[in-house]
Amino acid sequence: MKHDITFTVNDESYSIAVESHHNLLRVLREQLVLTGTKNGCSEGECGACTVLLDGEPVNSCLVLGVEADGHAITTVEGLAVDGHLAPIQQTMVELGGTQCGFCTPGVLIASHALLLRNPDPSEAEIRAGLVGNLCRCTGYVRIVDAVREAARMQRTSVSPIP
Amino acid sequence: MQPFDYIKPQTLEEASALLLQHNGQARPFAGCTDLLIRIERGFVHPQVVVDVKDLPGVHDLLVVRNGDLRIGAAVTMNQVALNPTVQSGWPLLAEGCGSVASYQLRNRATVGGNLCNASPAADSAPALICYGASVHIFGPDGPRTLPLEAFFLGPGRTALQAGELLTAITVPFVRGSAGHFLKLGRTTIGDISLMNVAVLGWPDSDVPSGSSWRIALGSVAPTVIRAPEAERLLSQDTSPAGLEAASQAAAAAARPIDDIRATAAYRSDMVRVLTRRGVERVLEEIGG
Amino acid sequence: MAIKKTTIVGQSFPRVESNAKVMGAAQYVDDMQFGPNLLHGRLKRSTVPHAMIKRIDVSKARALPGVRVVVTGQDYPGLTGLYLSDRPTFAVDRVRWVGEPVAGVAADTPELAERACELIEVEYEELPGVFDPEFGASGAAPLLHPDLMDYAAVPFIFRQPGTNISNWFKVRKGDMEAGWAEAAHIYEHTYRVPHVQHVPLETHVAVAQVDGNGKITLWSASQSPFAQRNLIAKSLNISHSKLRVITPYIGGGFGAKAGVSMEGACVVMALNAKGRPVKLAMSRAEEFHTTFVRQGLVAKIKMGMTADGRITAMQNTYYWDGGAYTEYGVNITRAAGYSSTGPYFVPNVHADSLCVYTNHPVGGAMRGFGMPEIHWAIEQHIDRMATQLHLDPVQVRLLNCLKEGQETVTGMIMHPTGLSQCIAKAAEALDWETPSKPSGTGKRRGKGIAAMWKAPAMPPNPGSSSTIRFNEDGTCLVNIGGVDMGQGALTIAAQLAAEGLGIPIEDVRVNTVDTDYSPYEWQTVASRLTWSMGNAILRAADEAKTQIIQMVAEVWGEDPQDLDIIDGNVVSYATEESVPLKNIVVYGMQKPDGTWAGGPVVGKGRFMPTYVTPLDAETGQGPRAVVHFTTGAQAVEVEIDEETGEVQVLKLVSAYDVGKAINPDMVRTQMEGGAVQGLSTALLESIILRNGQPMNPSFTDYRIATAVDAPVEMVNIIVEVPQDDGPYGARGIGEHAMVPTAPAIANAVRAAVGVEIDSMPITSEKVWKGMKGQE
Ligand SMILES: Cc1cc2nc3c(=O)[nH]c(=O)nc-3n(C[C@H](O)[C@H](O)[C@H](O)COP(=O)(O)OP(=O)(O)OC[C@H]3O[C@@H](n4cnc5c(N)ncnc54)[C@H](O)[C@@H]3O)c2cc1C
Ligand code: FES
Ligand code: FES
Repeated sequence: MKHDITFTVNDESYSIAVESHHNLLRVLREQLVLTGTKNGCSEGECGACTVLLDGEPVNSCLVLGVEADGHAITTVEGLAVDGHLAPIQQTMVELGGTQCGFCTPGVLIASHALLLRNPDPSEAEIRAGLVGNLCRCTGYVRIVDAVREAARMQRTSVSPIP
Repeated sequence: MQPFDYIKPQTLEEASALLLQHNGQARPFAGCTDLLIRIERGFVHPQVVVDVKDLPGVHDLLVVRNGDLRIGAAVTMNQVALNPTVQSGWPLLAEGCGSVASYQLRNRATVGGNLCNASPAADSAPALICYGASVHIFGPDGPRTLPLEAFFLGPGRTALQAGELLTAITVPFVRGSAGHFLKLGRTTIGDISLMNVAVLGWPDSDVPSGSSWRIALGSVAPTVIRAPEAERLLSQDTSPAGLEAASQAAAAAARPIDDIRATAAYRSDMVRVLTRRGVERVLEEIGG
Repeated sequence: MAIKKTTIVGQSFPRVESNAKVMGAAQYVDDMQFGPNLLHGRLKRSTVPHAMIKRIDVSKARALPGVRVVVTGQDYPGLTGLYLSDRPTFAVDRVRWVGEPVAGVAADTPELAERACELIEVEYEELPGVFDPEFGASGAAPLLHPDLMDYAAVPFIFRQPGTNISNWFKVRKGDMEAGWAEAAHIYEHTYRVPHVQHVPLETHVAVAQVDGNGKITLWSASQSPFAQRNLIAKSLNISHSKLRVITPYIGGGFGAKAGVSMEGACVVMALNAKGRPVKLAMSRAEEFHTTFVRQGLVAKIKMGMTADGRITAMQNTYYWDGGAYTEYGVNITRAAGYSSTGPYFVPNVHADSLCVYTNHPVGGAMRGFGMPEIHWAIEQHIDRMATQLHLDPVQVRLLNCLKEGQETVTGMIMHPTGLSQCIAKAAEALDWETPSKPSGTGKRRGKGIAAMWKAPAMPPNPGSSSTIRFNEDGTCLVNIGGVDMGQGALTIAAQLAAEGLGIPIEDVRVNTVDTDYSPYEWQTVASRLTWSMGNAILRAADEAKTQIIQMVAEVWGEDPQDLDIIDGNVVSYATEESVPLKNIVVYGMQKPDGTWAGGPVVGKGRFMPTYVTPLDAETGQGPRAVVHFTTGAQAVEVEIDEETGEVQVLKLVSAYDVGKAINPDMVRTQMEGGAVQGLSTALLESIILRNGQPMNPSFTDYRIATAVDAPVEMVNIIVEVPQDDGPYGARGIGEHAMVPTAPAIANAVRAAVGVEIDSMPITSEKVWKGMKGQE
């Protein structure tokens, strides 16, 4: 059962027909071939599928594709602007917050959203803000460092670590 | 996941008719954080899912004329937990809703869905029960209202009849009250409750201890339950000895089971511990 | 050769592929596009732990429109396995664990494949099961593999006919009677480790397709593309040249993606798909119990100590819960045997390490390969004995830990090692002597330490190879067969190649694996890549560099000894002349007489250890059991809630002797990630099995540590006592990082509240119960 929807993804508009039982994650990955967003569980637990829906992070595995009708989605592919990495992307690279990289898209979106709502998060706030993003590789240390450093960069708008 | 159709009705009548029409094969949903997983795991096989998010009033989060808080069926956990009015007037509820899963999940999970899902571990329910909340239901016979305590019938079972949906929740304002929600999980935060305790207290010169109490316990019985004996004891005595007696009474009210998450014995003892901690914190705030 | 000062090795470069990863551009198998022709595979799985298959009826599934392939064990009865060929791709006449594939379906959509699986009817005749390894090893247990002795196997495992024991590694060393007699104190205890899962964030996924010439391509999220090619080709009886395995980026492995688990099924379905590609992706639930799990363990330890803490004798029995098939587990059992004493000098040893078939999920390699499990027992045991004798656990470890020149449990002479340094430094960084104050009333704190050792566990002769080719612009391509699953292999390869060649790291590209184009690598396991593949890369770099220098020397009429490559230029120390690599590495160089020298530069290198010896089947003794041991220690401080039993890890110090840190920051990130994985298994994880049924195959009830559960503070200490045959002295670190974590935490819990936890995980409830018991 298909439904026509119109929505924007990373500021580009799409009008497509989606199956009513396909989740947003599947629509993004299979229909739009935006494969940056990952599937780590399909059950809302791991956060690898996190995207922004109208600026707020959601688990795209638990959103139906049809529900995106009329909304704006941001995925990891939409974080960089004109090829320039967003601060959180830069600090994740520089500080080693990514290993296998599979959790990384979701971590980046969740962190980005955290910094939007709280430009100066404490260590505890960063950790709590990422509790819905499982990472099996890094032990979280560098991810937390990267968020803290990105916050600092954004606040002082200094350029990234060279 | 087996295919199903999706419908987003615009009126309550239309929604109710849809639910009746598909004869149990239509499922309403708000955030879909429970429903989609149950479909994925093959526990339910709806032919159609009915999105409640366009129905009138479901996004309301406001204080109505008599001072009650009204929460529409599609209001999310984050909307409640982060709302300044809720934080100041119904802090216990803000804590309960804020303890659910992760930030991104709370952006979708609704209080209404949490109640309709009727899990004994539902983290918004103990607070709502302490405040004496009621639920508003719309069905083939029109609207009706039920106290929340009468809404839960058992794990996964509610008082909703065929064709009925939850439209809103009202939460009375309890003047002068303070409350805390304490939850024990396996991971430090974000876990489903092994058990939880909501404690609400307010000054009351008509009772010997000077304060009245409501205590609700989650995940220690088939539904969220009150601990009436503990509440009574606290209205008599909030000295350390009274507090200990009340905590033990709360533990005695619990009827937990052994499961893969914890044993009954641990859950009961944690009811005692977290009840005491909750009461202590509330006492500090209301001056006991 | 005089050791030149390195400029790239020893520097902390960010990983070379991280830009692609943070942009969402890095491709994993599930991201690859195969077009609308793609079929979606799904496996019908056994719902019972042990049964004969009476009947399989696939007719209804076949009849469902859109279903293109249905296969069962009858169609492909071959067996496979890394060390012991005991595992069918699909169960043939008997199922041995809940989740075992009995049939495979490929259909136009995942929904159809799911529906088709539901339509397959399987009738079982249930058999009594084995759910405990100690029982399984006994004569009373039903036999799970009556054909055990007929399976093909490597020579270094020892099966016991007529039993469920697929490997029995024995150590008989010294004089036990004398050892016990010398002891002032003897303590005996049993410890348990449950099954856990690796939980890579990316579940197993594979796509297979057969072309018109019968050539099969398998895109696989694998740690072992070459081993997969080998095992699948052998089980299907096809030529290795007919199977090509391609592995792009993979989303974590931790051992789960070593060897073959579900990939064979994908290939078998593709063989029947008339040229259409077939994708098989594991759901998270399937990942938890149907690919590989870490084996369970029952460990019985008996140890004797003198009054001053010297270990006089050890008698250890390890019953490994190997699961339904022990094709991989037999070697974990062996590793546990040749490491059975932990990192200590013990003159008298009696050890038995038994791999036992059970009706549980299949045990495979997992980060640490048996070491986290046996150290859980050994490191708690030694700590408890130290306390019983009123000795300091750090001092007891320093006294007994292996030093260069001492004999290991198998009679190998220990190479230079920084183990003592690691123990001392870890303790020091934790402020071992000074107790710290709890954060409030009702809280108690404690400190604990654990040491470790681990050798790369592998056959004696696993090979590595590498080639280096140059581009016109002076950049080069390094080809390797090792997989970067997040541990940083690509970056290490780039650093070693750049250092070896004398070019900037920016000029090096490292390719992911395609077995048709990449040189051979045994497997990406055993923390062996930096060491083994690293050696191959250095040799390839050396050959390429020699080609370049000889060409330039010929053209310039100089002695090659006077030439070097520095920062991408060939320079002459004699004449101070210099020429960039650009162009000459492909087109060669024109000589003064107008003729040419050189040609496209291609370096190749290989490495294989040749010196490992067999061990005696009855005593476990032999001159060289393994290539080397990485050693280390962790020290932790915990705070415990006296009423709830909740354990918080405040500080975690890791100290490891890595020989040489090629990229120090990447060593540290391995230490951090490993420690948190160790913490997670210590406090939270277990696959709960009731009569073989997994009770918690989802993140809902199989919790892993989140950012909030990670230690408040972490300290990482790198010790560098060089490895004689390591690249620049390097040894592996990937697995070691989680080996001592769980016992270190257990020891800290005991120090804090006096509660001894014999079986992992250390749940709040167990600590609570222990404290209740003291009241
Ligand atoms: C990863 C994860 C973690 C979780 N952690 C927690 C936790 O910590 N604490 C907790 O309490 N819960 C937790 N949950 C459960 C769930 O998120 C909550 O119960 C949530 O509040 C449900 O809201 P929803 O809007 O998503 O419900 P939905 O999935 O939309 O609906 C839930 C149920 O209610 C019915 N329903 C929904 N709306 C209506 C209506 N208006 N009228 C009648 N019936 C209706 C649906 O048919 C369905 O049966 C977790 C879930 C996930 C996936
Ligand atoms: S895939 Fe959505 S949370 Fe894991
Ligand atoms: S980097 Fe691998 S899961 Fe986070």
